[in-house]
Amino acid sequence: MISLAAFARRAAPVLACVGLLAMWQAASLALKNDSFPTAIEAIRAIPDILGDKEALINILASLRRMTIGFGVAVLVSIPLGLLMGRSRAVAALFNPLLMVIYPVPKAALMPIIMLWLGVGDITKTLVIFLGVSLPVIYHSFEGAKAVEEKMLWSGAAMGLSPAQRLVRIVLPAALPEILTGCRTGLVLALITMITSEMIARQSGAGNILFNALDMGQYDTVFAMIIIVGAMGICLDAIFERVRARLVRWSEPQFDMPLSFS
Amino acid sequence: MKVVPSRSSEWVRPVTPQKPASAIIEIEGVSQVFQTSARKDHVALSDISLAIEEGAFVSILGPSGCGKSTLLYVVGGFVSPTRGSAKIKGRTITGPGPDRGPVFQEFALFPWKTVLGNVMYGPRQQGVRAPEAEAQSRALIEMVGLKGYENFYPKELSGGMKQRVALARTLAYHPEVLLMDEPFGALDAHTRTRLQNDLLNIWERDRKTVLFVTHSVDEAVFLSDKVVMMSKSPGRIREVIDIDLPRPRRRSELLLDPRYQKYVVDIERMFDETDPVGSPS
Repeated sequence: MISLAAFARRAAPVLACVGLLAMWQAASLALKNDSFPTAIEAIRAIPDILGDKEALINILASLRRMTIGFGVAVLVSIPLGLLMGRSRAVAALFNPLLMVIYPVPKAALMPIIMLWLGVGDITKTLVIFLGVSLPVIYHSFEGAKAVEEKMLWSGAAMGLSPAQRLVRIVLPAALPEILTGCRTGLVLALITMITSEMIARQSGAGNILFNALDMGQYDTVFAMIIIVGAMGICLDAIFERVRARLVRWSEPQFDMPLSFS
Repeated sequence: MKVVPSRSSEWVRPVTPQKPASAIIEIEGVSQVFQTSARKDHVALSDISLAIEEGAFVSILGPSGCGKSTLLYVVGGFVSPTRGSAKIKGRTITGPGPDRGPVFQEFALFPWKTVLGNVMYGPRQQGVRAPEAEAQSRALIEMVGLKGYENFYPKELSGGMKQRVALARTLAYHPEVLLMDEPFGALDAHTRTRLQNDLLNIWERDRKTVLFVTHSVDEAVFLSDKVVMMSKSPGRIREVIDIDLPRPRRRSELLLDPRYQKYVVDIERMFDETDPVGSPS
């Protein structure tokens, strides 16, 4: 029985995917629309894209921009968020600025950035950086604010300086919250990556997608959507594994038994 | 700034700071005023003077809201007093330091560290080499009764066990004074009693100076050499009572001792006068 339950748990995501594809296939066959290929047609187009050297270079270039944008954003945002969470003055300085920037779609800034920095890597990486920064800053800020005062006092009594307390107490104590922000940031990095390539049409995965759309190659369009989606799922799964390892100490110990199981 | 000590209530006895030669902590005219809003001030402590002898177990007893924890935080250096000063061994306290080790009601353990990691943290910070710090920490963990739990994380422990870890973590860096802020306040009655017994056993070995904040009369009498009774709004010292009971103290003997019973009854009566309608929180 237990092994059956374990099997069901492992099979569930696969079943969900198969179900989704089946629904797609059925809908496409029912609608008979040229711009809506069947799931099988779209999947057949995937090897063509991944086999094409130029397409592969484009996708790798996209991933490289995303990695740099995400990495730099995390390195800048975590210290800033932590400082804001522990210093009223720093929070007062940056909070109004962030409140203005937060709701603005970062892609909306692209025309201006393109005007200043051109349509190359710098512009696209900068937009990814902006997209990732805000959730990471926000979650680091909230995490740092929530750190128990008495924990910091205990550290101070042991002789930790304010800077040491920030790095050795606030950072680890806020880590679960910080990583939640990073996870949101990772998804946003993927979104801003594609968006930036839609606007500055020069290279990248987003460019392949929109070129195919222009040329009416709808199976390629849908194949690219599958590829980008799969990239998102893989990146998120890898990140989640790393996250779970880093904050094992804060996770609840046992699965909560659900009422219906 | 001129400080005018107001002693309006007739039962407030002026407490002159007596300084025995062995006073390790001297609190001199400490007042603490918190600004709750632009116009209203909350006087948490009003002109407190107190001397604590080296090696004494001193309890600060009072109703909630009388500023007893604030007084402890002043000694800890976690808050600086509005007026007056606190000294340790003649030096004015300006901030926290490893000579004063706090133990809080909230435990305040580092949740990302194991039991051993928590206890080793202080010695490592003080520059003790890892193997040495580990050996000392393991011995302390055994002393507080947690042998076998070295690699557990705080979330895996009960409240009583967490407080044992917190005590070991503080003892590990050898503070000269232990500052205990209602350490057993969050525990159930049974766990509380066991921790009181164990704390006394540990304390009776090396007689470190302890400043112990509590609102429990039994606890204060059972543990202390001296009970400092506080009254609230504003927080003042109402009475300092010497607890003249023999040591080592055993709970089973003490509970039957008429002297113990008289202390408890007398102090409880005073407590009721201080706080006639009980505390709102």
